[in-house]
Amino acid sequence: MIAGRRGALVGVALLAIGLVLPFVPGVYIVFAIDLVCFALVAVAFDMLLGFTGLLSFGHALFWGGAGYVATIAIAHGVTSFPLAVVAGAAYAFVLSAAVGAIAVRRSGIYFAMITLAIGEIQYFLAFQLDDLTGGENGLSVTTRGTLFGLSLENDRVYYYLVLFVAVLGTAFALRVANSPYGAVLAAMRENESRAKSIGYDTERFKLGAFVMSGTLAGVAGALYAIANRLASLDAVDWHTSGTIVMMTILGGIGTIYGPIVGAAVFQSLDFFVSKTAIGDKTNIVMGLVFAAVILVARRGIVGELLRALAPRRPLPLQDDDLPGALVPDPS
Amino acid sequence: MPQVTPDYVLLQVFNGLVNGGFYALLALGLSIIFGMLRIVNFAHGTMYMLGAFVAYYGAQEIHLPFFAALIVAPVIVGAFGLLLEVTLLRRLYGLDPLYNLLLTFAIVLVLEDLMRLAAGALGSPYETPALLAGVTNLGFTEYPAYRLFVIVVSVIVCGVVYFVIERTPVGARIRAATENPALTRAFGIDTSRLVSATFAFGVGLAALAGVLAAPNTNVTPTMGDSVIINTFAIVVIGGLGSIAGSIVAGFALGVIAAVGAVVYPPISNTLIFIVMVLVIMFRPAGLFGAAERAA
Amino acid sequence: MNTSRFCLALAAASAIVLPLGAPLGVAADDGPIKIAVITDMSGVYAALSGQGAVEATKMAVEDFGGKVLGRTIEVDGIDHRNKGDEAAAKAAEAYDGGAELALDMTNSATALAVAGVAKQKHKLAIVTGAGSSAITGASCNRYTYHYAYDTYALASSTGRNIARQSDGKTWYGIVPNYAFGTQMLADFTAALEPEGAKFIHADMIPLGNTDFSSYLLAAKAANPQVLGILNAGADTVNTMKQVKQFGLDKQMKIAVGLLFLSDVDALPDVFSGSRITTSWYWNEDKPSRAWADRFTQRVGNGVRPTDIQAADYSATTQWLNAVKAVGSVDADKVQQYLDGHQFNDFYAHAAEWRARDHRVTHEMYVVDVLDKSKIKEPHAWFKIVQVIPPSRAFRPESQSKCVKDW
Repeated sequence: MIAGRRGALVGVALLAIGLVLPFVPGVYIVFAIDLVCFALVAVAFDMLLGFTGLLSFGHALFWGGAGYVATIAIAHGVTSFPLAVVAGAAYAFVLSAAVGAIAVRRSGIYFAMITLAIGEIQYFLAFQLDDLTGGENGLSVTTRGTLFGLSLENDRVYYYLVLFVAVLGTAFALRVANSPYGAVLAAMRENESRAKSIGYDTERFKLGAFVMSGTLAGVAGALYAIANRLASLDAVDWHTSGTIVMMTILGGIGTIYGPIVGAAVFQSLDFFVSKTAIGDKTNIVMGLVFAAVILVARRGIVGELLRALAPRRPLPLQDDDLPGALVPDPS
Repeated sequence: MPQVTPDYVLLQVFNGLVNGGFYALLALGLSIIFGMLRIVNFAHGTMYMLGAFVAYYGAQEIHLPFFAALIVAPVIVGAFGLLLEVTLLRRLYGLDPLYNLLLTFAIVLVLEDLMRLAAGALGSPYETPALLAGVTNLGFTEYPAYRLFVIVVSVIVCGVVYFVIERTPVGARIRAATENPALTRAFGIDTSRLVSATFAFGVGLAALAGVLAAPNTNVTPTMGDSVIINTFAIVVIGGLGSIAGSIVAGFALGVIAAVGAVVYPPISNTLIFIVMVLVIMFRPAGLFGAAERAA
Repeated sequence: MNTSRFCLALAAASAIVLPLGAPLGVAADDGPIKIAVITDMSGVYAALSGQGAVEATKMAVEDFGGKVLGRTIEVDGIDHRNKGDEAAAKAAEAYDGGAELALDMTNSATALAVAGVAKQKHKLAIVTGAGSSAITGASCNRYTYHYAYDTYALASSTGRNIARQSDGKTWYGIVPNYAFGTQMLADFTAALEPEGAKFIHADMIPLGNTDFSSYLLAAKAANPQVLGILNAGADTVNTMKQVKQFGLDKQMKIAVGLLFLSDVDALPDVFSGSRITTSWYWNEDKPSRAWADRFTQRVGNGVRPTDIQAADYSATTQWLNAVKAVGSVDADKVQQYLDGHQFNDFYAHAAEWRARDHRVTHEMYVVDVLDKSKIKEPHAWFKIVQVIPPSRAFRPESQSKCVKDW
């Protein structure tokens, strides 16, 4: 975690960029909105991976699922934007509680596989229940709803609203990280059996982190779907789960600010490269970049940056060995 | 729904065995790799795809017959896998297996896209070999000869691999290196060579499955995408690292999914995942998983 | 210490901002008129539409003179990568950056997404590459037209053509169990009924299924006169491969709901012997062939244009004609001009921009896919067996589900 003054500085810098982003020449406003949504889901994801070391390969469950619920709400006549978002977030909350209850009992690869599998089940449901979800055609709506009477159709207005929510979400994540709850999670990360022996119910803590992460991801997903006035199958596809993982790792696991940077870099590269002459080779570029990060810059952009700036005090989460993640847990 | 008669169900069992054969071969390779290297090889589906494409290009460029491709493709793709292991995956062995999972995920992106640039996204033609074209009469139904061939090959290959690993000295070394690498090395056995060879072999199995799939399914760069998730599920059901588990779970789930499609069609594509979640909940080591060794 | 950290942070920040691309062009009234060709440039539809569609559109602009209303015309190719949300975002960006027309949108999900954006921005979108009837049905809107084909036209043309014959009365359906499939089945059933034909059985096949053997064996046992394959993409390839494996094509006629020239180019042996419907064939008559030759020369590699690429050319020309006639690019005015407008060109014969639901009607062609050994020149895969007039090909106005918002 980036603590103290350094943390505040990075936060302020990111906020400043966020505030002026729509006015930067060359930045298309809808792209900026999408970017902030992805930044938020990456932060949400880091709440799980960074806090507990659990790698979920199914965050599209919450991102996409909440997006569908929010869009379905609007399609069925909900005109209040907050209500639609809350509907999506509620879905994500319940789903993450249910999935988490099953998944956190396992760790490592089993955890990842459960999330992946349940993500696939949701994908098939979204496809088949086409009366509700539009099936393969996706679900389009004609409005973003209103916020206490204020229309949200203006892209710039919507951007600042999304930015506001993202800042709140990030602040929440930081608050949890720096709280006693976060301290227990940190302790569990270091040595789970010791934490257990002191008397902490480690599973409940992991479940809590999972639910917080899933719900926040749902909020991001609802904002995203409403931004585009469209819920589509891509949002519940496991490739999107993979994208979320990549963004977070690119930015730096466990740094909270890192995933924001990671999402920004990932989205920019993706969007930008897809418009160039090598646009049809975007996946190769993204794959190579990601592979390079895994091989030589594992701490991610922000992680490596922080390491360079404070070499004598390695951050607890930035050890090369992310403890506990993928080895099958016998217990 | 076609009429549900005993003959029809039996037919579905055969179809299930064909699909199960593919699952078993793929799960076997993935399980062997995990057991030995603790790597969850996300690129396993891509290796399957490469096997199919080696067969395709072989046929296009040098008229490589199907039966030769069954040997050639696994060797070539296995060698490629070896290259990947030595140059890339090996660097991350000291770290959390998370990283190798993610690295193989990145490899998927790059390889699939490269293949798409080479071969296009639409599909490359591959014919059933003439010798196996046509139907044979099984008594209760007519059945394509090629599918019977797939069942036979997958059963034989799985059986041979099981025998080698569980019953031969080479297999014993592999199992030893998996259980306790340090001690195995102390006995003078070169584990790193064993590791590389194992990875190449696991990948070769995937490529074999790809060649077998080529006549029956559309050969496209993304054909691996549709098998990889299912393969993960099978391996988890059977027990990560368990040879017998992968084989049995592969065939069994293939048959269960096919018969399940008779009972309630909409469920068939999610049945594997439901079973997987149940297994993880109630028997996390998998159906055949051994008592876990310390992490 | 603090300032250097802050500068570092700012530097990192600007690094993020920099790659975001060149400044957008300002849409002035004397600036260029832009056409955004939004399509799949690199995935499964790249051969059907893709870069070829962009070239076809450019050809239309050049043939038109490169200018209209004194302004130059620019064509931008945009890759939606088969993602609805990306299509929506890029369409919005294109419109806000001066595009007056979004064209192509191959892939129904992206077409519907862009249709929504067109409505938001009050600019026109002409869909050529997608087939969903919803575009002129439940999702119709003032600013969107559906130009080339749709599931109803495919079903009614192929269905009725085969069902008319005495050996085309009993059908067995291979139908994917999602929206596209159920729609195709409904449309085919409706087309068969007046001819006294029907589906003796239709299998609703779950998504993700790659093995059609049990369904095909059941079809073999049921012995219909026609096997109706109503799925799409890789499913169709897998089904056809397995059809050949079982020798079903020797036992019954094969009708494929959705198939394009580019699919046959990729896998000729798989599709030979099937009967399909297309909106245009490059070798159907002299004017078509003349245009196709120009296209092939421009694009190179001997590749022949697909009906979607030709549709893009045609739609561009017709839109530019309309803009010129109206004297403005204003979408409302052009829409009012187009509604009810009839025309004829090498792509669209006896065509009309139908005012009822924005369906552009024209002749459709039922064709047989020839075997490799029978084709007279490369890519000459089709043999036209019937020309369907627009009044019979497309959904009658009285049956349209479109609730007009104009």
